Amino acid sequence: MSTHRLFSPARIGAIAGNTLLELVRQKVFYFLSIFALALIGCSFFMGFLQPELQFQVMKDVSLGAMSVFTWLLAVLATAMLLPKDIEDRTLYTILAKPVPRLEYLLGKLLGVLVMLAISLAVMALLFAATLYIKEQVTLAAAFAEARPSTPDQAAEIARSVKALTFTWSLVPGIIAIYCKAAIFAALTLLISTFASSWIFTIVISVAAYLIGHLVPIARAYLLESGGSWASKGFLTLITLLFPDLQLFNLTDDIVAGNAAPLALFLQTAGMGCFYLAVYACLAYLLFAKKEL
Amino acid sequence: MPDPAISIRNLTKIYPIPFRRERLTAVDGLTLSVEPGQVYGLLGPNGSGKSTTMKILLGLVPATRGQTQIFGRDSSLVESREEVGYLPENPYFYKYLTGEETLLFYGKLCGLRGAALRERTRELLHLVGLEGAADRRLGGYSKGMLQRIGLAQALVQEPRLLVLDEPTAGVDPAGSRDIRDLILQCKARGITVLLCSHLLGQVQEICDRVGILHKGKLVREGELESLISIENQTQLIFENAPPELLARFEAEAAACGARLVEKSKPHATLERFFLEVTR
Repeated sequence: MSTHRLFSPARIGAIAGNTLLELVRQKVFYFLSIFALALIGCSFFMGFLQPELQFQVMKDVSLGAMSVFTWLLAVLATAMLLPKDIEDRTLYTILAKPVPRLEYLLGKLLGVLVMLAISLAVMALLFAATLYIKEQVTLAAAFAEARPSTPDQAAEIARSVKALTFTWSLVPGIIAIYCKAAIFAALTLLISTFASSWIFTIVISVAAYLIGHLVPIARAYLLESGGSWASKGFLTLITLLFPDLQLFNLTDDIVAGNAAPLALFLQTAGMGCFYLAVYACLAYLLFAKKEL
Repeated sequence: MPDPAISIRNLTKIYPIPFRRERLTAVDGLTLSVEPGQVYGLLGPNGSGKSTTMKILLGLVPATRGQTQIFGRDSSLVESREEVGYLPENPYFYKYLTGEETLLFYGKLCGLRGAALRERTRELLHLVGLEGAADRRLGGYSKGMLQRIGLAQALVQEPRLLVLDEPTAGVDPAGSRDIRDLILQCKARGITVLLCSHLLGQVQEICDRVGILHKGKLVREGELESLISIENQTQLIFENAPPELLARFEAEAAACGARLVEKSKPHATLERFFLEVTR
């Protein structure tokens, strides 16, 4: 009597855990040390700016770096997973066990998503810690300069400095960064199901990143100009196939002091989940028919 | 009557050649059956369709035509693989895992958990003689050790069928003999083995039945003994026989109309000699 389950979260968990272990032992987290160095360097070399400007530049640079690093990690870590398993024939030994191809792909994707979540969380913690240290230094300098005579004055100085540092309004921006990286992990996995080499996969993923940032321009052109049916068809295809990556850039407004509205944040997160699911489904459809 | 361990009927696999109208027929109307408990050797030159047949049997590649079954179940179904252990040719596995972690990983894929999985892992490490290297990463394993851990992962869910593609390729004679002994142990436990190998001497030692593929077709198939024995010849081997006795035998044989085909001293195999001097 067969005890086989058609869909097993335990098997997916085993593959995801193994993928995470692979990435950890291949030392992808060393990437984070570059981020830490950039952060420390940034906070050291801004002494000549006004304190308000110092915090703003730090947030801008750090959140920008978090976005680029998480995206790079997503593409580089995912591009190798499937081709390497095929090349080393490790995939044969896994699929020769009672493991459906869907579970294999989901496990790989889940492993990368967990790795990205850990990386982004570590970067966010480093970012918050750097801002906290900067806040303490700025507070000490502000107290030394203003010499507040009453507790109210001291509280006012503290409040004004704290408003410049890490606030919870940054969290939706960081989650949007994660959503963007997660979409690219799924897209890279999709490309790797048919790509002939991992270099091709990376090149196409980078091209998709650039196209994703041009989607708003394509959409505006589509809505405003007439154009031929061919160009309209092409632009419609582009705007449907690729997410509008500008939507995931919530951090610019947040750093400028405008908290992201909940509706906008939910729309962005929903868009992220939608594209993640679409790319994962397409990856499965291609991988299910792939001759190994 | 129990279902055959492997049943292949009229199997054909045709690969399209990209950018050309031609097609490559890798397997052409193959029909064969392997009974439970048998060690079956699938032989053939490179490109004869052995690996493609194995891949179709394991659901890695779809057949163009025909049916493949494992213990009565359609082998393209994932659940049929509960009964199968597979060792591909020159597998690398995950170099960053230790031997023990490798078996734990494959065990989890087969639904094993907790104490039962740990116990099975210990048992297999002992079986393949890698207890001392359980904590070492596979990146530091020799070729022979990799094949042995590969065999262990193939056995992790106690399958009834073992599919081995060139299990001794690139392994030194001592390692090759270890793997041969492990296959014989599996046979003794009643596990059916489908073996694909170029080492005909080894196939001859362990297989009950063989099939020879050539250009995708099964050209000969049958019990090993009946395929290779020469029915009208008999071999006698004496120890310490004096020359007079041998002369009398020859004379008697000639008187009865028998022809002496060959008279020679038997040789030890080069493999046995190598193992003796390197032990």
